[in-house]
Amino acid sequence: MDARLRRVNKEILDCKNDRASNIQVDLIDNSPFHLKGSFNGPEGTPYEGGHFEVDIVIPDSYPFQPVKMKFITKVYHPNISSASGAICLDILKDAWSPVLTLKSTLISLQSLLCSPEPNDPQDAEVAKHYMTSRSSFEETARYWTMIYAGGPGKEGLKSGAKSGSKDEVAMAGLEKAHVDQFEALGFDRSKVIDVLRRMNYRGANVAKINDDRVVEELLK
Amino acid sequence: MSDPNNPPSEPVPGDLSGEPPKLAKTLKDLPEDDTEPPAWATTDQAAAAAEIAQGGAFEPPPGWTITEPTELSTLGPSTLFNMNEATIEDTIPKDRPLIAPLAPMAVLRAEYENGNTIFVKQIDWLVDKGYKGVRRTRGDGDCFYRSLAFAYVERIMHSDDPELNVMRAISTLETTPAMLSSVGFQELVFEDFFDIFKNLIMRIVQPEPGKSRLTARALFDTFNNPEESNSIVMYLRLLTSAQIRLDPEEYAPFLFHPEIGEPMETVTFCENFVEAVGKEADHVQMTALTRALRVNVNVAYLDGHAHKDGEIDVDFVQFENAPEPEDPITLLYRPGHYDILDNRDQESLTLEPL
Repeated sequence: MDARLRRVNKEILDCKNDRASNIQVDLIDNSPFHLKGSFNGPEGTPYEGGHFEVDIVIPDSYPFQPVKMKFITKVYHPNISSASGAICLDILKDAWSPVLTLKSTLISLQSLLCSPEPNDPQDAEVAKHYMTSRSSFEETARYWTMIYAGGPGKEGLKSGAKSGSKDEVAMAGLEKAHVDQFEALGFDRSKVIDVLRRMNYRGANVAKINDDRVVEELLK
Repeated sequence: MSDPNNPPSEPVPGDLSGEPPKLAKTLKDLPEDDTEPPAWATTDQAAAAAEIAQGGAFEPPPGWTITEPTELSTLGPSTLFNMNEATIEDTIPKDRPLIAPLAPMAVLRAEYENGNTIFVKQIDWLVDKGYKGVRRTRGDGDCFYRSLAFAYVERIMHSDDPELNVMRAISTLETTPAMLSSVGFQELVFEDFFDIFKNLIMRIVQPEPGKSRLTARALFDTFNNPEESNSIVMYLRLLTSAQIRLDPEEYAPFLFHPEIGEPMETVTFCENFVEAVGKEADHVQMTALTRALRVNVNVAYLDGHAHKDGEIDVDFVQFENAPEPEDPITLLYRPGHYDILDNRDQESLTLEPL
């Protein structure tokens, strides 16, 4: 008897039988221990309209050890690594309990999209963006949802991304005017974007960072 | 921790019986940019517990492993957590049993002979009162639940009338799945745990197909099999949680965050400090569980304190919930850890034929 397999099969069935929660779990390469979960971005958030996929690995001693999850879909969120999809959520770590299931854990990820915890960040740069300018953060998160998660193109996105191409300035959550300003000094555009992103050149911060400091960074 | 050739130096406050949190400390001290350290950073114990529960090595799939030289400070907390876990996994001695064979109190005494004389006198006091042996458990945060579960089943097995006591235990236990469902636990998360616990008790009087009746050896082996042992621990955790959730007015005044001391909501307390793997039990959990199981439990507090007049004895905290008079199960508490006390100083654990 393999208790882990029995339990996982029950959980997969539980997701399939529950149409209301809109949580989907599919097998990757025919192993019940490597799965793909997916759900829709919650309404009323910058993730609305997007479809998000999560890589799920069931560890050997499941359910006594937490399931391993990370986002396959790129997400712009303080508790999710924008590079790797790694997730910072207590139930995936020390608050794990065997009463949690694939379904309940994926629902918790969906809730995490509704309520970021910038004080316990996975992606420090994104968290700083969130804390500095909420509206600019949401615009960027919405743009990522559109580019990576099939979210709707919203009217008023400042750079009006054309289909198939992404606007690097919008991806980084920056103002086109700021990037243009430093590019005009003769610096490479991608370098300018990288530096301004790292310096969190957004919102009220712009007034606090003088141009010399930006140039200094650009010259490094 | 039962290996007499390698006695650990115990107890120290918060002793986790050999968990080596060295790397955890290093990682904990890493600056997380200018953000607060994440909440999980304070719980290397939980990380260790999760690893212990795991029993075997986890093979990370591609993409989870860092292959290039990388600055630790550039990694997110989730990555650091996984690395930390892997390191703890590597350094925990694999031979530390979940439940050790019974050992004479002299073994415990020997560990204090060059240290705290009050502890030595308290141990002598216990031996005088007839507690000749101690059965140690792994210090993984589950020790209260595991100790109680083991002692509970063992006492039924050794009782004068096992048939009657198995019947009583089963009839109490049979009411509990409904209790768990009523507080919202899905059946699929607890039905296997319930079956394992119930079948173990049934096996005292009724051999399972292909197995003998429960013997001392079989009980010992079951509790050292991580899957079965942790299933039983988990069932008791859920039972404890259900008992608290069903009577919030009774327990609410006693629900405090164990680290910061703030009052907590019932559900938040249960999710974080009862249902979560590896979280230690305190008075509230002990009260709830002994009520749910309807057992008497005495806990001997080996705390190194002498009375003002210099007299040395051991305080017992008593939980009396059995419907009829019966001798209590006795546990030994040392700061941060529970073991089982016994009036025997050794046992025979020879393999018996099926």
